[in-house]
Amino acid sequence: MSIRPLFAALAVLALAGCAADPAPNEQMRLTAQALEQAKAVGATADEVPEMKLAEDKFNRAKGNMADQSFRNARMRAEQAELDARLAEARVLTLKSEEQLSVLNTRIARLRKQVGDSQ
Amino acid sequence: MSLKTKALGGLILAGCASLYGCAGQHSEAALQEAGANFQKVKEDSNVLRIAPKDVIRAGESLARADRLSSYWGSGSDVAHYAYLSQRYSEIAREHTDQVLNEERAAKLELERQRLQLALRESKLLSVQQQGKWIEEQIVATATTQTDRGLVMTLGDVLFDTGEAELKNSANRVVLKVVQFLQLNPKRVVRIEGYTDSTGGKQENLKLSRDRAQSVADVLTDLGIDDKRIQVEGYGDEYPVDVNASERGRAQNRRVEIVFSDEKGQMGAAR
Repeated sequence: MSIRPLFAALAVLALAGCAADPAPNEQMRLTAQALEQAKAVGATADEVPEMKLAEDKFNRAKGNMADQSFRNARMRAEQAELDARLAEARVLTLKSEEQLSVLNTRIARLRKQVGDSQ
Repeated sequence: MSLKTKALGGLILAGCASLYGCAGQHSEAALQEAGANFQKVKEDSNVLRIAPKDVIRAGESLARADRLSSYWGSGSDVAHYAYLSQRYSEIAREHTDQVLNEERAAKLELERQRLQLALRESKLLSVQQQGKWIEEQIVATATTQTDRGLVMTLGDVLFDTGEAELKNSANRVVLKVVQFLQLNPKRVVRIEGYTDSTGGKQENLKLSRDRAQSVADVLTDLGIDDKRIQVEGYGDEYPVDVNASERGRAQNRRVEIVFSDEKGQMGAAR
């Protein structure tokens, strides 16, 4: 008689555990997508430190998924997603800076020539 | 309960408390940093205009971290949401920088087009003024069909001695080339620089490349896409005449423009 509440409590605890941390499949998919996108614009782990972070965390998240440690998997995957998106943004900003400097060189050259020939 | 177990219990309790204290401090610092960062992006009107969604997400994550920080034992969650907030702020900042650069580039592009037109006009004008010039005086240009394709030679007179910059007297040829390339949008060119054998190998190589590059620059300035232009410097290699005579040396100092066929197929480089 006295052992019943204990079972009930255990069951509730187990259920709560499940409810709090379901497998973060959607988050894993989002993170994979963010990594793909960052790679597509040319972010590599060697050149962009955030990309390295993203890849490492995503790999660990995959390990957590395999161990059914869903809470850790979700947190790591969430961080990895934003790391990858930051890596992507950094690469794009760098590209826009390069584009600006090419334009500035060209304009300086044109100015000089227009000045010379007048 | 014996004294021993009591002491052990006390130790464990103290350990837990100190661990929690560390974690708490760590997450507290992360929370503060994320807060400071969020404050900065929130007050930047450019960031608000360009990346409002990321700013909102940074704010939401921060609020969540803040809420959690009042609960006992939530250190890792606080650190996690502070991290996310921090990242959203950084992404908002990067995104803003990128768009601002693009806006600047769009303005510069207009300026470039305006200058390009002005340059073309002034070159046309100068060609018209020089219309009376005797052909040889303007350029020693020859266009020949070789096994490398159609080749146009820009002679030595178009450059000052030892200088890489193209003289104004080259305007006519350059305009011709530009016009030709605009009429034949699929054709690409390879610009090859050559020198005579006086001077060191390295200097000659550099001078030949610089001269070829300066021809390429003028073509780009006049509106030819630089993807269509390839540049090579060959130094004193491949002379077309002997290097023993002054005349021969002058022949060897040249820039050659090699044209691809009409489909854009280029002969092999030397």
